[in-house]
Amino acid sequence: MKSAPTVSQQMPDDALLVAFANGDTVAAQELTARLLPRVLAQATRMLANQTEAEDVAQEAMIRLWKIAPDWRQGEAQISTWLYRVVANLCTDRLRKRRGGVSLDQIAEPTDDTPGAVAQIQTQTRLKALSDALAQLPVRQAEAVALRHLEGLSNPEIAQIMDISVRSVESLTARGKRALADILAGQKAELGYDDD
Amino acid sequence: MMMTDPKNDMLDDLFAEARKIAPEPSEALVARVIAEAIPPQTVSAAGRRGLATRLLEMIGGWPAVGGLVAATLAGLWIGVAPPASVEDFTATWFGDPVAVGLLSDDIAFDTGLFADG
Repeated sequence: MKSAPTVSQQMPDDALLVAFANGDTVAAQELTARLLPRVLAQATRMLANQTEAEDVAQEAMIRLWKIAPDWRQGEAQISTWLYRVVANLCTDRLRKRRGGVSLDQIAEPTDDTPGAVAQIQTQTRLKALSDALAQLPVRQAEAVALRHLEGLSNPEIAQIMDISVRSVESLTARGKRALADILAGQKAELGYDDD
Repeated sequence: MMMTDPKNDMLDDLFAEARKIAPEPSEALVARVIAEAIPPQTVSAAGRRGLATRLLEMIGGWPAVGGLVAATLAGLWIGVAPPASVEDFTATWFGDPVAVGLLSDDIAFDTGLFADG
């Protein structure tokens, strides 16, 4: 049987943030439970590295706590703000990664079971995708990640990136073409040569 | 029939794999995030304080302890060597006093402090 939701569980994100700014520590716990999984998922998809993704997720949440006293309820959505912060933090890290030979960093499988091999292949593919994102101009990488990794609509991305929908369309189209070209040479490595 | 670009097929497959990722935040990460939200003094300071400190705070801190000590000493003093006014008062209300010698006569009367009248 599910227990009845508490008052804080029923409050919208921005009301919780205002409550937190006024000293309600339960609100911080509820916001963490509600927002951290999505923040961590976005960072993990872009970076394909657990440690880096956790660092980014923590930093994004710290920024949320810091902005809480100045948050104007109803003016912006916390989810939109967080998408922007996480995308920016991730592209900062991707930029620093440029030039590195990343596929070598994926561990060789320690056992030969199909599950373990498949898991390593998935990690290798996601790391390759993340490294390819790192080769794109920052705005293209952000737009492509929000569109194709987060599955957001172009108007939502336009709001997050504070640009027009037409600009989003252009950035995602160019970004996707560039990504495809970068990854084309790794087809065999990524296990796509048998179709 | 529409032609598909194999490069895009691979990319779409990679995107789909990435979208499936939904890591559960570890307890350690949750703890770090909440620790950043809640100032340390509200979390750990209360937990770190010992029983004696908390009892002290309950009665009002060191000034209250000073008052308690002064009142205790005064009570003891009156009990040992009641002034005449107290003896007269108790004699009136409770009858004749019963004297219990706690100090030797030498000490009590050599000083001359306890002589009444």
